[in-house]
Amino acid sequence: PPRRSEAALPTIYAITPTYSRPVQKAELTRLANTFRQVARLHWILVEDAAARSELVSRFVAGAGLPCTHLHVPTPRRYKRPGLPRATEQRNAGLAWLRQRHQHLPPPQPGVLFFADDDNTYSLELFQEMRTTRKVSVWPVGLVGGRRYERPVVENGKVVGWYTGWRADRPFAIDMAGFAVSLQVILSHPKAVFKRRGSQPGMQESDFLKQITTVEELEPKANNCTKVLVWHTRTEKVNLANEPKYHLDTVSIEV
Amino acid sequence: NEELWVQSVLEMPKRRDILAIVLIVLPWTLLITVWHQSTIAPLLAVHKDDGGDSRRDLAAGLDSKEYCLSDRDIVEVVRTEYVYTRPPPWSDTLPTIHVITPTYSRPVQKAELTRLANTLLHVPNLHWILVEDSQRRTPLITRLLRDTGLNYTHLNVETPRNYKLRGDMRDPRIPRGTMQRNLALRWLRETFNKNNSQPGIVYFADDDNTYSLELFEEMRSTRKVSVWPVAFVGGLRYESPKVNAAGKVYGWKTVFDPHRPFAIDMAGFAVNLRLILQRSQAYFKLRGVKGGYQESSLLRELVTLNDLEPKATNCTKILVWHTRTEKPVLVNEGKKGFTDPNVEI
Repeated sequence: PPRRSEAALPTIYAITPTYSRPVQKAELTRLANTFRQVARLHWILVEDAAARSELVSRFVAGAGLPCTHLHVPTPRRYKRPGLPRATEQRNAGLAWLRQRHQHLPPPQPGVLFFADDDNTYSLELFQEMRTTRKVSVWPVGLVGGRRYERPVVENGKVVGWYTGWRADRPFAIDMAGFAVSLQVILSHPKAVFKRRGSQPGMQESDFLKQITTVEELEPKANNCTKVLVWHTRTEKVNLANEPKYHLDTVSIEV
Repeated sequence: NEELWVQSVLEMPKRRDILAIVLIVLPWTLLITVWHQSTIAPLLAVHKDDGGDSRRDLAAGLDSKEYCLSDRDIVEVVRTEYVYTRPPPWSDTLPTIHVITPTYSRPVQKAELTRLANTLLHVPNLHWILVEDSQRRTPLITRLLRDTGLNYTHLNVETPRNYKLRGDMRDPRIPRGTMQRNLALRWLRETFNKNNSQPGIVYFADDDNTYSLELFEEMRSTRKVSVWPVAFVGGLRYESPKVNAAGKVYGWKTVFDPHRPFAIDMAGFAVNLRLILQRSQAYFKLRGVKGGYQESSLLRELVTLNDLEPKATNCTKILVWHTRTEKPVLVNEGKKGFTDPNVEI
């Protein structure tokens, strides 16, 4: 697309928490391959680490799109199964955005969404989210024990939630199912993902109720009838044949 | 910001400090007003980024122990101007890469093909041959291919079912994807004349692997058969060809049966189209193939070890990962299915 019309587009900020494991580089690679197809996308990559890793630093240097590389370690006490994950990392992404726009004159049109590194995103999704005025929502495939979950829409308004898990939540939606305009994030400086008092599975709901109401939500993807993002998960890699001794003479990054 | 400042000021206990409060607040009010209107504001923002103080302001209102953001950690990479169309315009000088992808229907199929297409859309002169394991070409794939804008060929052939086994079991004696890959090879041989000098490379890309863009550029210079390491196969971080000082492949760095003629994964090699057309009877063996010998069954008809061209810096870099996607939990669909089957996933 020509540069002139690109400049008028709201920037999409993708906040991606990531952590070290064998498939990390593969996940980031294919995610970058998708993001690089999207105009004016700014990637905020937040490592769950006490220091920037060499792997991610090298990756970011060659990523081929505007990228901000942050890191914050999850406190050990929060690393139990069943506890929400990536809370600190997402909050770090929000903090960076808020700090960066502190001194810029408004309006800075932008939309942010939370892009976990193992999900799958269609290019159409970015078109849909770019017109977000406050908070937009859409269906998510392969989540909640179902083929998809989605907001139920009547007359252009969200009236309920079609979900396999705890439909009584105020916002029964997955992290991959919504985007927030930058304006809303900046005007709610205290809205963050919480640890205290947050039950598992309530992260999204607890966050969204700080910044919006169900009434205000903007349904996308043809009134929430198309699946444009899938909650894919990658299998753990079989490394049974890795030697304990007699390691290789060269050190190759995977 | 102003609001927070005023609030913390008012929390000061002594009332006699009202004058002090006014003297503090007033200049800030003036300063902030000036700041918003000033054209130097963008410059101030840049200056702040170079300094360290603003980082600590982030901790206000948050548990500062849980954040460690310092200047050095915030790395911004500026994209070099990368104006492109999707897919890139066809070039007359680049060999075409024919990517053969067998695929079959399951819940994650559309997701897998979507993210694969998002990768392939970067690659110039790419021709995607998608072969469905199905009786008919499905509307899902037809629509998906059309919507990507890629240069593609849509084929299908159904692996015979094993009627002795219950359910949707295909004949287990035929490794998955074999008939589909062979159909694509046949299509290439029927479509391209071996005397026609259209340069091309053939690569087998399964729909759940992960491919870097660099890989496609490495394989483009294949003269006969090129090879490179593949991550996450054979129970290892990666398997790799063994390359000697002369740049020749002399063996295979694998734990699982390194004595196979070609101990390499499907994703670890590419073949020049000319060779495919010349050796027109070379196909993947359909039956009686031991696990892990599929690739050998084709390659031994095409090339010898000596002729292999090592890529990826003499097989020291990982440019492709044999990722596998988890089967999604669909327990809430129940026996009859819960969600609307017309909503395509």
